[in-house]
Amino acid sequence: MIAPDTAAELNAERRFDLLAAALIGAVAILAAVLAVIQIASGQTAGRAQLQAARLTADLSARIEISSIAQDSALTMAQAALALSIAGTSREIAGLANNEEGAFAVGQTEHQASTDLASALNATSGTTGGSPLDAYTAGLLKATTQDLWNEVTEQNRQVDIANDAGTRNSASILGLSFLALAGVLIGLGAVLREGRAGWIALSFAGFMTCAAGTLAVLAAI
Amino acid sequence: MTGELLRSTSAEEPSVAASEIAVASHERGSGGVAILLAIAAVVAAIIGARASMVSNDANDSWQSALRTEVKRSAAAMADVQTLYESELPVAIEALQAKVLAEEMSSAQAGQSPAAQQALAVEASVQSQLVTALSAGLELAQNSSYALPSGGYDLGKRLADIRARNPDLVALNPDGIEAAGDRLAQKAVLLTYALVPTSLCALLGVLAQPLRRDRGWLLSSGFAALLVGVVMAVGTEVLA
Repeated sequence: MIAPDTAAELNAERRFDLLAAALIGAVAILAAVLAVIQIASGQTAGRAQLQAARLTADLSARIEISSIAQDSALTMAQAALALSIAGTSREIAGLANNEEGAFAVGQTEHQASTDLASALNATSGTTGGSPLDAYTAGLLKATTQDLWNEVTEQNRQVDIANDAGTRNSASILGLSFLALAGVLIGLGAVLREGRAGWIALSFAGFMTCAAGTLAVLAAI
Repeated sequence: MTGELLRSTSAEEPSVAASEIAVASHERGSGGVAILLAIAAVVAAIIGARASMVSNDANDSWQSALRTEVKRSAAAMADVQTLYESELPVAIEALQAKVLAEEMSSAQAGQSPAAQQALAVEASVQSQLVTALSAGLELAQNSSYALPSGGYDLGKRLADIRARNPDLVALNPDGIEAAGDRLAQKAVLLTYALVPTSLCALLGVLAQPLRRDRGWLLSSGFAALLVGVVMAVGTEVLA
């Protein structure tokens, strides 16, 4: 027969051991869950940051190269227009000064400006055309709407990186709480089922609950 | 030794004997718990280390994608500037001179002698301009870039300029990034294997105080460990 005091001690020891074991198990499972969240959120944050940087680089190239193409088209249109104006001016000057030669040259320049406009317009039309690679063609043909869409996507990636960074920080904090909980459980195991041991286990339980809460927050 | 101790004490004090029996029972099966926990710790450490390595490789790929993106856009920028800012302005001048020379020559018919002379002089001037401006200018000289309308095929010319450095045209940051995405996915799948492994640890530590249920707890723990190992190996092989 077991003495009542001994039986009570055994029960207290058993409860203590059971709680310590349950806490260790909870810490192990939470650590695994937080590790999954931490790696996933860390990767999401890292990828989004790099994607945002890639889009920034691409936007910079797209803005500059499409501007070059647009400026070039404008310059070509201006060249034909300038020739037309020069021809008309020469015609007027030839008439005013009764210079047949100047008038004829001006008239011819005016007529030539039409052919020149046609040729330069066709030249502009080949910007970004075949057999150019798709990437360079895309840079040359980028419209303002394309650029706005890319800016929107770039901003979205930055937001994703910020959100994932917050979740990553929460998971790391949770892992830190679990490390503290592990230390407290170890301390409780050394102190055994006395008052100090129970206090250590209680704090370990609190830390584990806090880590669990952070895991939930980080996972949402 | 434990048996001797039990025999000697049981005769003197029943309550002490009972506690010794409890201790002896408590110790039975502890070896299995220790082995299970040790294996779980080793497996978790290996899975964690491998997941970390794969995750690091994924990050390297993404960094490489960014570097490749910058390199690709810089190369494209240089080629576009070569055509649009160096060749094209001169080629436009040459084209204008060519159109004028042709128009001046064809316009002479039916004109007065004075007008014919002025047109001939202007045609000569423009012809000389064409020769001077086109010298060494591939876009203006190479007939393969000439359009039927008299203009230039900028797409074809830029493609040829870009083809001087085919390795730069072939840069594909999207492909590098996709490789990083695959590695990242693999790293996350590997960390999922930590969940059954940690469940194994939970069952193992519970088996220590719960002596009556130790058998099935240990069996379940080993089963969970096996699931974790299979998940990790499967991910490593298939992903």
